[in-house]
Amino acid sequence: MKKIALAFAAVAGLAATGAQAQNFPSRPITMIVPFAAGGPTDVVARIVTDHMSRTLGQQIVIENVAGAGGTTGITRAAQSQPDGYTIMMGHMGTHGAAPALYPNLKYDPTKDFAAIGMAAGTPIVIVAKKDFPANDLKGFLDYMKTNGEKVNMAHAGVGSVSHSTGILFNSIIKAKPTMVAYRGTGPALNDLMANTVDYMTDQIVNVAPQIQGGNIKAFAIATPERSPVLPNVPTTKEAGLGDYQVSAWNAVFAPKGTPPDVVKKLNEALVKSLDDENTKKRLLELGGVLPSAEEKTPEGLQKLVNSEVARWTPVLKAAGATAE
Amino acid sequence: MSIPHENQGAASRRGAVRAPQSLAGGLFLIALAALALWLTKDLDQGRLNAMGPAMLPRWLAVGVALSGLALIVLAFIKDGDLLERWSIRGPFFIIVAILSFALTIRGYASGSVAIPGLGLMFAGPLAIVIGGFATPDARFRELLILALALTPGCMIMFGDSALLNLPIPMFPQALAGVFPAGWSQNAILRTIAAIMAIAALLVFFTTRGSRRTTVDVADHSGRI
Amino acid sequence: MGDLFSNLGLGFSVAFSVQNILSAFIGCLVGTLIGVLPGVGPIATIAMLLPITFSLDPTGALIMLAGIYYGAQYGGSTTAILVNIPGEATSVVTALDGHQMARQGRAGIALGVAAIGSFFAGTVATLVIAALGKPLTGLALLFGPTEYFALMVMGLVFAVVLARGSILKAIAMILLGVLLSTVGLDLETGEERMTFGLAFLSDGIDFAVLAMGVFGIAEIMRNLDHTEHRDVVRQAIGRLLPNKDDFKQAYKPAIRGTLIGAVLGILPGNGAVLGPFASYTLEKKLAKDPRRFGRGAIEGVAGPESANNAGAQTSFIPLLTLGIPPNAVMALMVGAMTIHGIIPGPQVMTKNPDLFWGMIASMWIGNLMLLVINLPLVGLWVRLLKVPYRLLFPAILMFCCIGIYSINSLPTDVMFIALFGFVGYMLIKFGFEPAPMLLGFVLGKLMEENLRRALILSRGSLETFIERPVSAGLLAVAAILLIIALLPSIRKGRDEVFTE
Repeated sequence: MKKIALAFAAVAGLAATGAQAQNFPSRPITMIVPFAAGGPTDVVARIVTDHMSRTLGQQIVIENVAGAGGTTGITRAAQSQPDGYTIMMGHMGTHGAAPALYPNLKYDPTKDFAAIGMAAGTPIVIVAKKDFPANDLKGFLDYMKTNGEKVNMAHAGVGSVSHSTGILFNSIIKAKPTMVAYRGTGPALNDLMANTVDYMTDQIVNVAPQIQGGNIKAFAIATPERSPVLPNVPTTKEAGLGDYQVSAWNAVFAPKGTPPDVVKKLNEALVKSLDDENTKKRLLELGGVLPSAEEKTPEGLQKLVNSEVARWTPVLKAAGATAE
Repeated sequence: MSIPHENQGAASRRGAVRAPQSLAGGLFLIALAALALWLTKDLDQGRLNAMGPAMLPRWLAVGVALSGLALIVLAFIKDGDLLERWSIRGPFFIIVAILSFALTIRGYASGSVAIPGLGLMFAGPLAIVIGGFATPDARFRELLILALALTPGCMIMFGDSALLNLPIPMFPQALAGVFPAGWSQNAILRTIAAIMAIAALLVFFTTRGSRRTTVDVADHSGRI
Repeated sequence: MGDLFSNLGLGFSVAFSVQNILSAFIGCLVGTLIGVLPGVGPIATIAMLLPITFSLDPTGALIMLAGIYYGAQYGGSTTAILVNIPGEATSVVTALDGHQMARQGRAGIALGVAAIGSFFAGTVATLVIAALGKPLTGLALLFGPTEYFALMVMGLVFAVVLARGSILKAIAMILLGVLLSTVGLDLETGEERMTFGLAFLSDGIDFAVLAMGVFGIAEIMRNLDHTEHRDVVRQAIGRLLPNKDDFKQAYKPAIRGTLIGAVLGILPGNGAVLGPFASYTLEKKLAKDPRRFGRGAIEGVAGPESANNAGAQTSFIPLLTLGIPPNAVMALMVGAMTIHGIIPGPQVMTKNPDLFWGMIASMWIGNLMLLVINLPLVGLWVRLLKVPYRLLFPAILMFCCIGIYSINSLPTDVMFIALFGFVGYMLIKFGFEPAPMLLGFVLGKLMEENLRRALILSRGSLETFIERPVSAGLLAVAAILLIIALLPSIRKGRDEVFTE
């Protein structure tokens, strides 16, 4: 009974008191999440803002504006008032791969935003069907060299994380498999488990249960260190493919022109949230990677965005992947 | 659907076109198919082992066009239904009502045209009052009361932070400046809703008796 | 068998706390109230209500979510019956006969039968999940792209049977529906198709927008034309709840619907969406007088509603045992569970038996709440129909706008209900029915994607569809169904085929 009351109290957020215009925030903040409720980015956003709301004394309301690989929501957020009351959760796709994928993109990730800080990344895992005739990354690469034509690679649709990271992977290992598109990770995984397609790359949170259950094989995880969720899966570096380092990162941005002290306040709340034990625990349970001290700063995030755009653009353009 | 079959007798007495409804329907289908074909003209059809984006839409459009053609041919051979009576008023007001909601809820800016975001407190009543005039029986006073009573209910249900707290714009941000600075968004929302509800009651009581009809929402007489 | 009971016992011991029952009750109530908004189906409802579960413990939260889901689903059926606006694909079928019943003053009976049928189906499906969940997971893996294509073809044949009038017009509408489903970015190449270069069309047309337009808004426009029609709804309210005769007519369809829905729900590629259509087709074929269908046949509500709920429930099987969400609602459930620190997968059952069985037990409780909440509400909903139409329709109009806006926060979605409303109005004027078009739209996307996937995997060989036994079998059933559907009309002579 009491918990139900608490449920509603939490929705109510903390009672707003205070404030002049400079006394940010004096009303609820909207965070635009450019994906549907329940997806990995949405989950990260909800976990992180939960604690941020308490620090700021104003509720952060999540608004899911999905569409066109996240660019619909980010476009809207970029064009909103730069007063700190509209912020967004950008990610690897919207602030890294999008300029290559969407030639008509109405924002520039490197110029149109005030970076606030990194929230969390989800590592990418290379997975294959259970019956795949190789047991480690080396065996896989050998097999691809001789049977490359026959192999089918699944991905979750043009513009998805699994698509971009898959193209990067193929370009590094110089493989040209037949690409099979699915609408979302679920159906792609289903066919991977049924041995219909051969391999794919995707975020750990999507594939970990299947790896743990022995339904699919994991060859490597594309982070510098192994993940506590999948301690037996080697890193790409250990497996001999150190070039493949990629993570689906999620980070908080505000529109360009947001006052520096507002950005600072938001950044402090974000950092405080990430330092909170409960937030940490929940993010780690997802297989998430917490940001480094540098990535948590606005400058560090902006640097990452610039390097990500520079990295994705040639790879995706070479693969001829555009969404418009 | 709701056309009685007796119409067929009347139709057979007409000229060459023996089923005007089928003819019109057929033409409509052909127009839609032509539009689809035109829109996919630049896309690649591909081959069976790598179907392009245009293959299915193009063949579907051909299928739709063939169905349309069959309907047109039949319209000259077989007796069929007459075209139903069209009205302009209903669709016109309904469409305008929906568009005014869409344009005002969070504002719209395109080139030189800029509509401010007015939020649900204006978009809702606009939809109700304009939409209400889709029927000739519309009465402004009734619609106004309905709008002023329903909208605050929705605003509280969807917007109040103790209830659903959805990110739907509720009132223009400029209006928040009218309230004392210490007020929270939620307090402002509740106050506006209360004012609207009171306004509904005021309109209801002050204009009562000026017309003979009552505005009892659950009209017991069952008559319009 | 002993296992089954001890497991269910564990589940109920977890679920039957005052707090959890209260969670189920609140979830179901709020879910119903939001789901009843026109155009707002279960997906939108769950997404909107997700935050209210955040501060509960995982079990309580999942139980509340289950309540929200069933409530939302039933709320959607309520809107379909009362105002002919289906909020999701599966309630399109309910709208066909349910709304006709409402027009005849039998709204209460339709709502009652829907609630009781759903409860029955939910109970059976809970047992199916508990007993067969594990062994049935293999079925999901039997279905690859080839099989799904065949399944969708079968579904489109159902759509022909759904049609009341001319078969030619029904086929045209199905083709048009499939054509509409191809609007948007091409999944394989990322090229834009028929989007007029508009960004908001790049993800295709939203089902809720199309359905609200061609059903809801078009219906309002049409009602305004027919002065003699618009009072029919509130002509006489009649009995509020079904009586013995209604049950007699309804129980067999409910049982058959439950079976069909439960089986299709297990398939991971959103097979559940076919359940209500399959059930409706079956009932229409079995009926002594198929002409009653589409004119307020109670079997046309009881069967599909049961199939709908059974499928909704058994679609948890691939999620709970494989960790694969079979449709958008389940994908959202994954997100909801993830937020609470549970990542669905094959391990949940062994690692977290409390939660697993508690959740299965809570499904049944959710269904029970649905009955408890909705039977008393029937009276309230039916009374809404007494409101004079000149006041009712502007209110519906505003709720449609709010409902659609709240789903994606996109004003363009709102504009599109006006466009599709007008298109739907024209279609009605030309004697076309919107239901086959919507079915074509829903199945079209799945059909195209699976066709292309199957052909990519077979490297372009069409033989793949007959070489694989499951797909060959499904295609054979589709062919037979089509012949059965066409035969009576052919026998009656060509006249009837096209102008009935």
